[in-house]
Amino acid sequence: MSDILRTLREARPEELAPDLPVAEDVRRAELAHAMASRPVGGRARARRSVRPVWGLGAVGLAGAVAAALVAVNVPADGEPGAPAAQPATARTVLLAAAGKADGRPDGTGAFWHVATVSSMAHQVSTGGVRYTVVDRQRHETWTPGRPGAKIRADVQNLGARPATAKDEAAWRRAGAPARFEIRVPIGPNSTVTKTFVTSVKQGPVRRGTSPRPGDGKLFWLGRNVGVKELRALPADPARLRAGLLRWYDGRDTESGAPMSRDAWLYRVASGLVTDMPVAPKVRAAAFRMLADLPRVRSLGRVTDAQGRTGLGVGLDEKTRAGLVLHRLVIDPATGGALAGERVLVRPAAGEGRAPGTVLGSTAVLTAAWTDAVR
Amino acid sequence: MADEASEERRFTAMYDECRQRVWAYAASRAGRQAADEVVSETFAVAWRRFRDVPDPPLPWLLGVARNVLRESHRAQVRRESFAAELSRWAPPPGGDIAEDVAERLAVVRAMAALPEDDREILILVAWQGLAPREAARVVGCSAAALRVRLHRARRRLVRAVEEPRAAGEEKGSAASRSQVGIIREERA
Repeated sequence: MSDILRTLREARPEELAPDLPVAEDVRRAELAHAMASRPVGGRARARRSVRPVWGLGAVGLAGAVAAALVAVNVPADGEPGAPAAQPATARTVLLAAAGKADGRPDGTGAFWHVATVSSMAHQVSTGGVRYTVVDRQRHETWTPGRPGAKIRADVQNLGARPATAKDEAAWRRAGAPARFEIRVPIGPNSTVTKTFVTSVKQGPVRRGTSPRPGDGKLFWLGRNVGVKELRALPADPARLRAGLLRWYDGRDTESGAPMSRDAWLYRVASGLVTDMPVAPKVRAAAFRMLADLPRVRSLGRVTDAQGRTGLGVGLDEKTRAGLVLHRLVIDPATGGALAGERVLVRPAAGEGRAPGTVLGSTAVLTAAWTDAVR
Repeated sequence: MADEASEERRFTAMYDECRQRVWAYAASRAGRQAADEVVSETFAVAWRRFRDVPDPPLPWLLGVARNVLRESHRAQVRRESFAAELSRWAPPPGGDIAEDVAERLAVVRAMAALPEDDREILILVAWQGLAPREAARVVGCSAAALRVRLHRARRRLVRAVEEPRAAGEEKGSAASRSQVGIIREERA
């Protein structure tokens, strides 16, 4: 009898082995599904839904840009991307955007359609040569306006490439590898790391549907909200601010660390002005609310990761990587936000990525109502 | 690499560390198709509650998978799916195979004859390699209770190996040779 367990162990079917590799498309789809699910429960636990790092399509991406826009009140001094000419104040830029947004028609359609390109900068090491690569993914989602319908989410890995000319030179010195290994810790406080592989190649479009939109509260506004709640937001900046702040408890919803009211509002409102399905007048109210935040600074003309030029505003945050600027790139023509990006202003000691590196970017290509799901 | 986006990375790392084990657990209880769904749901729950996930995460994840499985797949469906998988894992005896191989196959076939609770514990300990304390966390009992249950499950497994037809829990669960044969033909 003592041997029966050993026999059973030995009899384990091969396909149940714990170390079998997972097919890459399965892995991507499952991670995308997991990270697309919005946090549930009380606000202390509320956590913004984020775009998965590894190029996974998030379902219900709206609000994901907010993820790229964490902000904490740290005095601003670095001015990456700021031109020599004196820029308009952040307030001016944001009020102008509000004016533009006010005049935009509200679209109609059964689905809120968002297409984005996200990119992340990773430090890699090949044969002792260290350099930075940028890994990019395209995400496209169709979120139904009414509960019940399925969410469609497509993802495409666009491939990784050296971040700068200098990085490219280092990459060539390293033999121009087609794949990059990235090491990350396996647990919140773990020193054990795990290696991920990303490739220079563009992958196929992975189509996904989410069979369980859950309670339909797919958007993050400091709490979980659905399209219905977003459509019901007030168009008055003071009321909008008060309504949002009911969910503020002095802490970052992400880490639980203390977070100032303004930083919190910046983060939440950033989602509202980028890719959430709110009425144009509500987007305008969110811009006006942002205009009243004193720490938001103007960056002048900036170029987003897609090469599009807009007016930048941003808020600084101190992170373990160093001082990071959370910037919004606003299209002055439409009053829409083109991108939410995190820029490394002053790297911490030991941080390999150079000042000015865009650590992460989510560029919005489309955010509109439509009836057509491709 | 240290910046706040690492939550996604940590989650991805946890996924890479544990995914296949969660899948194997679900597959060994309810078949491959159910396992795909259970894995998907389990990691969605894990993401929503990432900050609650203890270290090591595996017993917790298996516990979530267990609940998902129970809620989404009725006992009878789980049983039938298991019986179907069994036909692939342990084809009916026959042919010229080594004795130790035959013995292993007999043990796997005997698993089908056990009550589901027994089978689960054996899977956690023998196939997942969990310590009794960890297995206890998965099924939600004390470590002491788990040891007792494991002892009983082992005893029933021995009996099921020795008397293939005697230990059936209820009809349909003991994947008899003819049943397995039919399933195999359907799958072929």
